[in-house]
Amino acid sequence: MEHAAVQHAVESGSKIQDLAWMILVAPLVMAVGTTLFVPRDRTLAAIFNIGGVILSFCLSFVLFCVFGGGSAQCTPFEWLPIAGLDVHIGLHIDPLASLMLLVVTGVASLVMIYSTGYMHDDRSYPRFFASLSLFVFSMLGIVLADNFVMLFIFWELVGISSYLLIGFWYARPAAADASKKAFLTNRIGDFGFMLGILIVWSALGTVDFAVAKAKLAENPTLLGSMAGIAGLLIFMGAMGKSAQFPLHVWLPDAMEGPTPVSALIHAATMVAAGIYMLCRVFFLYTAAPGWPGPLSMLGDLSAATLISLVGAFTALLAALIAVQQNDIKRILAFSTLSQLGLMVMAVGLGAKAANPSAAMFHLVTHAFFKAMLFLGAGSVIHACHHEQDIWKMGGLKAKMPFTFWTFLIGTAALAGLPPFSGFYSKDEIFALALETNPILFGVGILVSVLTTFYMSRLVLVAFFGSTRSESADHAHESPGSMKWPLVVLTVPSLMVAWLPLGPFLSESFDPAHPVHLGDIFFGPFNHNPIAAFFGFGAALFGFSLAYSLYWKATKDPLPTQLGLLSKVMRNRFYFDEIYETIFISLHNLFSHIADWMDRWVISGLVVRGVSGLVDISGRALRLVQTGNIQSYTFFFTVGVLLVVLLARK
Amino acid sequence: MDSLSSVILLPLLSAFLILLVPGNYRVIVRAIAVLGSGLTAWIAASLFFRFQPGHEGFQFESILPWISVGKLSLAYHVGADGLNIGLILVTGLVGFASVLVSWNIDRNPKLFYILLLLMIGGALGAFASLDLLFFYFFNELALVPTFILIGVWGRGENKTVAAFKITLYLTLGALIALAGLLLLHVSIGAQTFDVIALKTLLSGKPLSSTLQNWIFPLLLFGFGTLVGLFPFHSWAAEGYAAAPTAAAMMHSGILKKAGLYALLRVALPFLPDGAAHWLPVLAWLCLGNLLHCGWVALRQKDLNLLIGNSSLAHMGFAFLGIASLSVIGITGTVIVMVAHALLAALCFALSGYLESQSGTVDMTRLGGLLRRMPVFGTLMVMGFMAGCGLPGFANFAGEATVLFGSWKSLPWIVVAASWSGLILGAVYMLRALRSILYGEERKELAAVIDLGWWRRLPFALLIAALLLFGVAPSLLSRRIEPVAKEIVKAATNRSTPSRVAAVVVTP
Repeated sequence: MEHAAVQHAVESGSKIQDLAWMILVAPLVMAVGTTLFVPRDRTLAAIFNIGGVILSFCLSFVLFCVFGGGSAQCTPFEWLPIAGLDVHIGLHIDPLASLMLLVVTGVASLVMIYSTGYMHDDRSYPRFFASLSLFVFSMLGIVLADNFVMLFIFWELVGISSYLLIGFWYARPAAADASKKAFLTNRIGDFGFMLGILIVWSALGTVDFAVAKAKLAENPTLLGSMAGIAGLLIFMGAMGKSAQFPLHVWLPDAMEGPTPVSALIHAATMVAAGIYMLCRVFFLYTAAPGWPGPLSMLGDLSAATLISLVGAFTALLAALIAVQQNDIKRILAFSTLSQLGLMVMAVGLGAKAANPSAAMFHLVTHAFFKAMLFLGAGSVIHACHHEQDIWKMGGLKAKMPFTFWTFLIGTAALAGLPPFSGFYSKDEIFALALETNPILFGVGILVSVLTTFYMSRLVLVAFFGSTRSESADHAHESPGSMKWPLVVLTVPSLMVAWLPLGPFLSESFDPAHPVHLGDIFFGPFNHNPIAAFFGFGAALFGFSLAYSLYWKATKDPLPTQLGLLSKVMRNRFYFDEIYETIFISLHNLFSHIADWMDRWVISGLVVRGVSGLVDISGRALRLVQTGNIQSYTFFFTVGVLLVVLLARK
Repeated sequence: MDSLSSVILLPLLSAFLILLVPGNYRVIVRAIAVLGSGLTAWIAASLFFRFQPGHEGFQFESILPWISVGKLSLAYHVGADGLNIGLILVTGLVGFASVLVSWNIDRNPKLFYILLLLMIGGALGAFASLDLLFFYFFNELALVPTFILIGVWGRGENKTVAAFKITLYLTLGALIALAGLLLLHVSIGAQTFDVIALKTLLSGKPLSSTLQNWIFPLLLFGFGTLVGLFPFHSWAAEGYAAAPTAAAMMHSGILKKAGLYALLRVALPFLPDGAAHWLPVLAWLCLGNLLHCGWVALRQKDLNLLIGNSSLAHMGFAFLGIASLSVIGITGTVIVMVAHALLAALCFALSGYLESQSGTVDMTRLGGLLRRMPVFGTLMVMGFMAGCGLPGFANFAGEATVLFGSWKSLPWIVVAASWSGLILGAVYMLRALRSILYGEERKELAAVIDLGWWRRLPFALLIAALLLFGVAPSLLSRRIEPVAKEIVKAATNRSTPSRVAAVVVTP
């Protein structure tokens, strides 16, 4: 069974395999090589690691061009072969994977080039590049994985690379704490993910994607009453990595890492891994819904519907929080959360049409323009001597024209203005929502208004008006290594949506009806005018709202106008505090109890028991030691008599 | 001389050689210990790679008749199969590493190295022996030096209490296990202690299930105590905190596994009815290891106590695999045993080096050490990440296999195990890293020195082995799976209908 699925490799299989393996392994080789052999050589470390990732990018490009929309599974090598649990490490290439390869390696190459400027003065420069390479390797592993266990392995490796990169400046307590928080929050998601994998394995008897997919296609009720639970548990993994409510709290803190890291990991790739994973195991969500006894009231509600609700809620929540943040990176972080929420919503909604490509499409466009926005923010922070408060910036438009114009393009794309890529991908999500769930369509439009509002606020406050601090006064344009990656990123931010990605991606799924992705310019207004007009209108409305409030503003008028609500938004609806009180105190309580038991109850059992026994027998025997000759003679006689009696028997 | 016997004899011979050297020739004493244990590790590794996976029965087998009194015949009988070949390998490696990290032993190094080499030789003998009496003898040969090492070279204020406690617990455990073994032997009525012979006898004429139900708990709790089975675990963390580094490495890494090994070698295949009756109890008790010890570890301020409790929590996975009585679960248990041997040794070696530099393992008094000790810090991050189940290290492979193997029969306990392994483990390991390595540098710790080139060797050795088995766990699973199949086949071949199924709660 396993082998049948493995062997539908194409004719040119061996070359494709070599390519795919090289794409995966090149960054790892560079990371390990840097750590072992050139841990102090800055130039060589940069050349090796950037070279490794660019090599991966070029090979991905070749794979994309040569192989196109085909799909193949490379011959795996065995990782843990036990009868009944055959885990191998094999690569699976299809349109979904080859597109994602390009996104990951493309953004990673640019971010690494950018880092040569941004991290120039850091003493641990080689370590930075090695960690980035390690991250790219792990991420590519997720993209290419052909089974659940391998996916989980690389999933964890992404977690550790993110931990190392967030905590890159480990001497700063805030960074050290943020890295720990990110890892642990992700682990909670992984806990569910692992259990989900166990359920799927025990129901389908395989961990291989292709085999599992084939089995479910044959018999959609194979997961039985566990279908819903399995779907939700697997989604928990995505909740962790893609920072969905209630596991969203780690992402804003993760901004303590260097800004290039935020751009690569916490905007374009790692956080997208959750969405990608959901698309990869999408066949689980199109299977027949089912719930075990206690949850039977959920009836026909599928896991996918619940997922779309979680996504919509996260999108709205994060957008509201972003409105009242003042740190340039935090605004972008919450905006990432919000956009990820939209993607998750789209995956959930896509289940009915058996096609999550709207989510993937937004993932791709978002990866480019959000990476550009983060790199732009990094350029601003770099220029303002690590000032991150937008109210202490202002007037940067004239001082940093490159950064300003690229940032503006990114903002337009994020806000969803045509003809920037964000418009098309968001439109696809809105159109999908309009068809399947009008309430979520409303939420989506509201999120879009808020998105444009807070992004316009950011641009108006930071780049226009007068400078409001000394560090902003001395700001100047960043060096070429940081400037040019920004310029390069404008191209996909503008144009990636014009490629026929929709039909291309659909080949990875079996959609019920065709998709319209890839419409150029005013296409969306033709095939789904309502969605397109609402999306466009939301962007205009959000912008005019922001313009009326923040044009030439010197301080934020909203806190006085909204009062308490603004404070709640600024404090992220107090989720960190709530978690702190409930979960962490609960675990501390448990550990107090366990420790107390260990010290005073269990530890006493044997030690006191035995010493008590010795003690009692000692006391008893002491009674015999009378020091009286007569009694000793008596005991002796009794003893002799006893021996004689026993011997006679 | 066959190579399996030579691997047992080498450390014992080295111990004897050291005995002949005057105590003030420290360099020679140390050289003999390093060479002896190094050569042992080398031969153990070559045995592991020469072992033919997928073959039935024992390899490198050798028998020497010893005593024949009346009908009783005793023989020195050693052999390797998938169950012990991995343990022999890691005993060699951990033994070598523990000799290497003992460079700063000043007080009576001669006696120290003799005891340490006896531990290594004893452990190897115990794993290789196919005769129960020899197994027991070798195991005691390895255990007794532990007590002396703690008593004489121990650290900390309550080392006397800890030494007393560990001696008491382990001696009691060993005695109960001995009672079980003797009862088993008497009730079979055999004239031999040979494992293979006993097994053949039993397959023809199994013991009555009442008798099995009496013998099994003796073995389970006796050997369980040696492993640190909840609630007989409280000797472990304190004992390791008080032990000198090398003894903590050898005991927590290697000797603890002898208890698990005996359960797999003797208790499960010999007593199928007893297993069916008592394994559900074990399944519940391993919750104690997984969760209780995990929570206790969360509370610790002393790094050694944290590692000790975390190591107990990891033993929960080994017990869980045994309790599942499935081929996948038991294969997982053996991988966990091998992986944890390397991990525990690595962690104690790290904390030992840390203490030698900073003078304390109190985590509230440490901090920001990564800047001054980048190599040590990197090794520590790797070791602790292996400890919280990061893929790429052998521990993940073992623990994941146990989870898969136990899922079908014990789903709720697997849920607890995943919580323990993925979350509790990560919380205390990351807390430790955060408070020791990260954060601002401390003035009072300015004198610490990073690991020099030669000092890195034991750490590199252990990490390399963890990575090797983490990247290619098939090296282990291929060797283990045939034995796991045999064990499961023997252990499920019972006379009374299954009781496991009645306890199982399906999700």
